[in-house]
Amino acid sequence: MTVRPIRIHASVLPGIAVAAMLLLLAAALLAELAVRATGLTLAFDRELARIVAFTTMQAALSTVLSLVVGIALAWSLAHQQRFPGRGLLIAMFSAALVLPTLIVVLGLVSVLGRSGWAGDLYNAVTGRSPGFSIYGLSGILIAHTYLNASFVVRTLVNRLEAVPPENRKLAHGLGLSAWRRFRLVDWPACAPSVRGLAVTIFLLCFTSFAIVLVLGGSPRYNTLEVAIYEAVRFEFDLGRALALALVQLAVCAALVAFVGGLRATGRSIHGAATMFAHLQGPAVNRLQRTIIIAAAIAFALPLIATLIDGSRAEFSRLLAEPVFARAALTSVLIAIVSAAIVVTGSVAMALTRRQFTLANRWADARGSPLAALAMSYSASLYLVFPALVLGLGFFLLARRLGGPADLWAVAALITANVTLALPFAVAVLVPTAERAAARYDRLAVSLGLAWSTRWRAIEWPLMRADIGYVAALALCLSLGDLGVIALFGTQDFTTLPWLMYQKIGAYRTADAAGVALILLSLVLATFIFVPRLFSGARHAAP
Amino acid sequence: MTWLHKTLLAAAFATTTTMAATAEGGKRELIIYTYDAFAADWGPAPGVKAEFEKVCDCELTFVTADSSIGALRKVQLEGEATPADIVLGLDTNIAEVARATGLFAEHGADLSALSVPIEWNDEVFAPFDYSYLAFVYNTEKLETVPGSFEELAALPEDVKIIIQDPRSSTPGLGLVLWVKQAYGERAGEIWRALAPRVLTVTKSWSDAYGLFLKGEAELVLSYTTSPAYHRIAESDQRFAAAMFAEGHHLQVEVAAIVKSTDQPELARQFMAFMLTDAFQDIIPTTNWTYPAIETANGLPEGFDPPVAADKALIMDGADVEANRKAWIEEWRAALSQ
Amino acid sequence: MLRLEDVRFAYSHAADAPRFRFDMGVEPGTIAGVIGASGTGKSTLLDLIAGFQTPQAGRVVIDGEQVTGLPPAQRPVSILFQNHNLFEHLSALENVVLGLAPRRRPTAADKETAAAALARVGLAGFEDHPALNLSGGQAQRVALARTLARRSRVLLLDEPFSALDEDNRADLTPLVRAAVTEHGGAGVLVTHDLNDCERLADRILEIRDGQLHEVG
Repeated sequence: MTVRPIRIHASVLPGIAVAAMLLLLAAALLAELAVRATGLTLAFDRELARIVAFTTMQAALSTVLSLVVGIALAWSLAHQQRFPGRGLLIAMFSAALVLPTLIVVLGLVSVLGRSGWAGDLYNAVTGRSPGFSIYGLSGILIAHTYLNASFVVRTLVNRLEAVPPENRKLAHGLGLSAWRRFRLVDWPACAPSVRGLAVTIFLLCFTSFAIVLVLGGSPRYNTLEVAIYEAVRFEFDLGRALALALVQLAVCAALVAFVGGLRATGRSIHGAATMFAHLQGPAVNRLQRTIIIAAAIAFALPLIATLIDGSRAEFSRLLAEPVFARAALTSVLIAIVSAAIVVTGSVAMALTRRQFTLANRWADARGSPLAALAMSYSASLYLVFPALVLGLGFFLLARRLGGPADLWAVAALITANVTLALPFAVAVLVPTAERAAARYDRLAVSLGLAWSTRWRAIEWPLMRADIGYVAALALCLSLGDLGVIALFGTQDFTTLPWLMYQKIGAYRTADAAGVALILLSLVLATFIFVPRLFSGARHAAP
Repeated sequence: MTWLHKTLLAAAFATTTTMAATAEGGKRELIIYTYDAFAADWGPAPGVKAEFEKVCDCELTFVTADSSIGALRKVQLEGEATPADIVLGLDTNIAEVARATGLFAEHGADLSALSVPIEWNDEVFAPFDYSYLAFVYNTEKLETVPGSFEELAALPEDVKIIIQDPRSSTPGLGLVLWVKQAYGERAGEIWRALAPRVLTVTKSWSDAYGLFLKGEAELVLSYTTSPAYHRIAESDQRFAAAMFAEGHHLQVEVAAIVKSTDQPELARQFMAFMLTDAFQDIIPTTNWTYPAIETANGLPEGFDPPVAADKALIMDGADVEANRKAWIEEWRAALSQ
Repeated sequence: MLRLEDVRFAYSHAADAPRFRFDMGVEPGTIAGVIGASGTGKSTLLDLIAGFQTPQAGRVVIDGEQVTGLPPAQRPVSILFQNHNLFEHLSALENVVLGLAPRRRPTAADKETAAAALARVGLAGFEDHPALNLSGGQAQRVALARTLARRSRVLLLDEPFSALDEDNRADLTPLVRAAVTEHGGAGVLVTHDLNDCERLADRILEIRDGQLHEVG
């Protein structure tokens, strides 16, 4: 079947511009580093091969686990529309992803650690000590699943709710088994998003650093970032750091190339969720509710531990400290600016990217696979770019271009935050944008809608809920990010997570726990209230 | 775009106030690069700034990096144009690296008042405090307190320690050197014996100590002065440092003048001030380390006296530089089995 | 053949919630057309017959057997929607086969039956075509082939022609009638289009105020 191509020129430009800016930035940072380095010094030794092999293995396992848990949970939540506290649960699942790693690790340790609640409970019931240890590969996988499954859930619940009710009626009418209903109705709705999710999660786990070290339990579990850290910090071998960063870029780029150039499929879109929980049979309903309850407990306990730990802080003193006010103000301001940039940039990229993935737009045009790839790379920049190298490159760029160091520090931090949130934002928005186009392109073109009218009538109503989520995600990722400002450090420039680390670094663990509690509350509130701003008065989180 | 601009400027403004203030007064300014814990509100910096500004008719500004190595790398990257006049907080293990950069000038301070556990007559690096690595434990939880690495390795199966990675953490590197100094050729064997005791290896001291305070392990690699913090600041008597027969790795923190300074006189004045009571009395209860001179007031109540000088293990910086990679590899191989 | 006996239904207990009360009978081999503007309850009627909604009172009877409380899968019913009738990523043939063997592994005989049904709706040669790439008219034909192959006793038609052009409507009319009449089943068509109703239905009813009224 041939469909007449629909080529909407205007909407290509903003996304291309964003992508070009990001790629230029990356090139500039790497170039700065290359200028300073005396040449690439990289011995492809066995240790490096071992690190890459382990990291790939751990990232692949983490990705599979995150997807399995996330899909099971999304499937359950989508079908159990009336589960009490559903909106709050979805907000909570989102919180895990964006908290500073150390908060998540300490929260998980409170539950699963050697003196954790789970062990205590097991001990109280059986009188024996549990043989399980969170330190090792299992800990790495648990933490990664904890962080990433939530993102899968939030994305896929929306996809599942967008399945046309006719398809569900058909499946029930034919009497398909629960498994076949999943395979034929639910899975195809998820599949296009799963690809993007898998890449994002894999890259996130591939570059995961703190978790692998803290929970790995042994130097056997190592990452490229550690090697880069060592090269920059102890050896000051910028050539080696650059070479290692390029190895990481190459591995990640190969993966993005493998997946990022694929075409979009599926064109079903539907507004409100229509589910038939009462037709699923008691066993399936029970299974779904069990999954939700189990996940709610698993996801909530570490957060509850954070709240309990934090509640012991002396808030009257902590809140009165001038450094706290400064950190909070800086964090919130930077988060707002970053989120505004992320929302604008990711919408532009999503609207442009679909031009190259939808068959009836530019997918057949010359150079379109290249354009699609460029979009994928630029969106995944942070995930493939070691944070230390990003910060270093920025610092060198700042020195070359001059200007106040503090302004550069702010720019570096905002850039880091924006590039950190972009891959998530794009992964959320691209499928929605593609569906909107697939469904309404012909109508919009036949009516001759101006792009602004089209945006108001088609993209905004269909994408606003997702845009709200992206805004919340970007705000929170910025709030929780440790940033790349170490090299820029000045006396007064500090953010909340930075303050938290400083407090722990000075034995002040109670204060640090208090800051963690404040951060967690901010993040949860953002996930509950910000999406509301975007979805009107309709409903809460999703 | 204007709105964005304003917000950016507002965010930037919050961070530039110090800089602006220093420029206004027309006073001389001394800029010190240091690690963040030193410059924190609760660190030594505020007190040092107040005391030094009383006598110098100048403005003292601290610029923080995430660590002392970070501060050094910052100066290196900035090269001749660096605004830094002094780098403060390098430890003896990386002082040689710093010396090799050729970026530092002689301090010219009188070192005769020094009271550090080793002989010190370095003309570039002047010490301002020192501390010993030690395994810290909770007295209510640990029954058998180990008195050596071998006893530590022989503790029951369920006693665990948390250490730091030598590739990312200063105490982590210190521990590798400590074992090497104490056992030489046998270091690998000791690490293999310790391996089952190691619960986890963290990126930084903060991660390790955070986990330890959560009760995850019985012992953590920290400093002999750590218990003093809990005793003095929190009135918590539960923590103690395990004293080892082999001795303890000594970490001396030093400062040095950057060659390209535009305030050489002021910088030398600060280096001399650093070795007076006014500076040194601030150190114990803000940096939680031992002062580099014996002050009139002595150590505060609750501070353990330092480890006897004959138990202080220190390694020559050049040796560290020459062997660091091999020793870390020995450590990694032993723990990875 | 198909009877609704005093079937009562409301979506909620709220005082202003619309209430429905349906009484109707459809003779074997005939199609009853139900007409009404959107929101009058046409889809509710089909949902009650198919089992997606359960009435608060009354009975649904097919071939003399009460099916009121049965889930959709256990009712001898097939549905043809306006669109989204196919599983997009399956081929045309797989979509038809699925209707024959929804809960078991399809046999060679199933595939032959399905291929014959596709040929009958004019889609011979389209067996391996992905449903996603079919035009609207082709997709409706595949869905119709599935209902033909299933030989269900009751065929529910939910605006089946609304998305089609006149040529397709004319081509499909005898096939839809055949799907109902061939083996003495019954059909219920709901639509807002009187022309479709007259083309397909043997008699016409209208939904007004939640009840069915005979038209002409």
